[in-house]
Amino acid sequence: MTSLRLDRVSLGFGHGDGVHDVTMSVAAGEIVALVGLNGAGKSTLMRLALGMLRPARGTVHVLGAPLATAPARSWARVGALVEVPLAYPELTTRENLHLAALLHHADPGCVDEALDQWQLRPVADRRFRRLSLGTRQRVGLAAALQHRPDLVVLDEPSNALDPASVILLREHLTRRAADGAAVLVSSHHLDEVARTAGRTLLMNRGRLIGELATDGPDVERAFFDRIHDDDRRAGVGTAAR
Amino acid sequence: MNAALRAEATKLRRSPVGLIATVALVGGTIAVLGGITAAVAGGDPAMIAKAGPAAALDWTGLLSGAGQVTAAAGMLGCGTVLAWLFAREFTDGTIVGLFALPVTRGRIALAKLAVYACWVALVGVALTSGLLALGLALGYGAPDRAVWAGLARLCVLVLLTGAVTTPVALAATAARSLLAGVGCTVGLVVVAQVGALAGAGGWMPLAAPALWAASGGTAVTTPQLALAVAVGAAAAAAAWWTWSRLTCRR
Repeated sequence: MTSLRLDRVSLGFGHGDGVHDVTMSVAAGEIVALVGLNGAGKSTLMRLALGMLRPARGTVHVLGAPLATAPARSWARVGALVEVPLAYPELTTRENLHLAALLHHADPGCVDEALDQWQLRPVADRRFRRLSLGTRQRVGLAAALQHRPDLVVLDEPSNALDPASVILLREHLTRRAADGAAVLVSSHHLDEVARTAGRTLLMNRGRLIGELATDGPDVERAFFDRIHDDDRRAGVGTAAR
Repeated sequence: MNAALRAEATKLRRSPVGLIATVALVGGTIAVLGGITAAVAGGDPAMIAKAGPAAALDWTGLLSGAGQVTAAAGMLGCGTVLAWLFAREFTDGTIVGLFALPVTRGRIALAKLAVYACWVALVGVALTSGLLALGLALGYGAPDRAVWAGLARLCVLVLLTGAVTTPVALAATAARSLLAGVGCTVGLVVVAQVGALAGAGGWMPLAAPALWAASGGTAVTTPQLALAVAVGAAAAAAAWWTWSRLTCRR
């Protein structure tokens, strides 16, 4: 079953920025990674998928329903983290997770489990503003995933995470996918993507330019070859961008 | 709606903004009135001249002073809290986390307005109670019917001030900026003061609550007060509509 589908979605911001004619899907139980250079349109694509932006053309379907008419309650099955965690500086870790559970219409009992799963118990009663950057990111991930969503959308979730937390994230995403969730994740860490994702979509200048094979000996070289090749065809210098 | 209400109430209850604004409005007003009373009782001629009707050392003087202080300080306090409630999601970046939720942004905006209304009511009751305690402590005796009416008017003045300040929510949302919300608050205070000085009277919604309270309810008609409430309701509806239609471009 397809959990997330974008059909010929476009949204321009002027100067060629935005996303153009993007078609993609993520099936239940699948982890799909989105890779590309800064400004390639990954975050915009995710914002379109989550209803933060409305496409100028094309349609977005989330969990089988068109975004424009999807009932609000269907978002209870979605977990997302885009740029900034849903967490407030004046609240403690535990209070922030309670608030996230409330807003996802989830059982508040999931908070205790999340504190253990994301190794946040030692900072459970510490205010968010007093946490390190990496711990804040873990709180954000816990807030996005504690209600066991069927669709997970994470924009560069390994930002600021230490190696142990990256493994924690990888295990969590793998477990969610094994339980039937569809996972879309963007990342700059190609080696991490290679370990986690079943499929890796390559994005350049607002367009999906195909899949990147991550099982080769040099994923980084393959990545840049594809980007340069696409830029050359478009008559654009990568360094100039 | 319940989830959004609980979330917004938690945020305001735990924030220093809510606490400081409450203490400043209630404690600050009582302290200022206590100071004025002490200066007048001490025979300070400059203070007696400046205080005008508030220089009377009785319930009438105390209520008159409370009305003057509350009209301006109330709008500043209410505007600051309202600007923070709405703009903080943009300045803290948490607005992106308020998408893709079963609780819609429209409901979140309504919850913010409801929590704000409850906070204004709380301040109104606390300020009125504090003023009653101050008057009793100053030995003005048990309030008679006219004094009770004056205390009730002061409480309603706080509520009406809270209502006419709601355009701040719209400004903070439209500009996605806390400073814009605070700037709008200052602008409302200026417009209210200038309107009152220019003699705009009760048809000036921003000034009508203060004129109504200061005149003992005689200088402003019910339709004029209703207009002030309608302006607040229209601004609240506009803020809700804007939140319902929000998008989140980087």
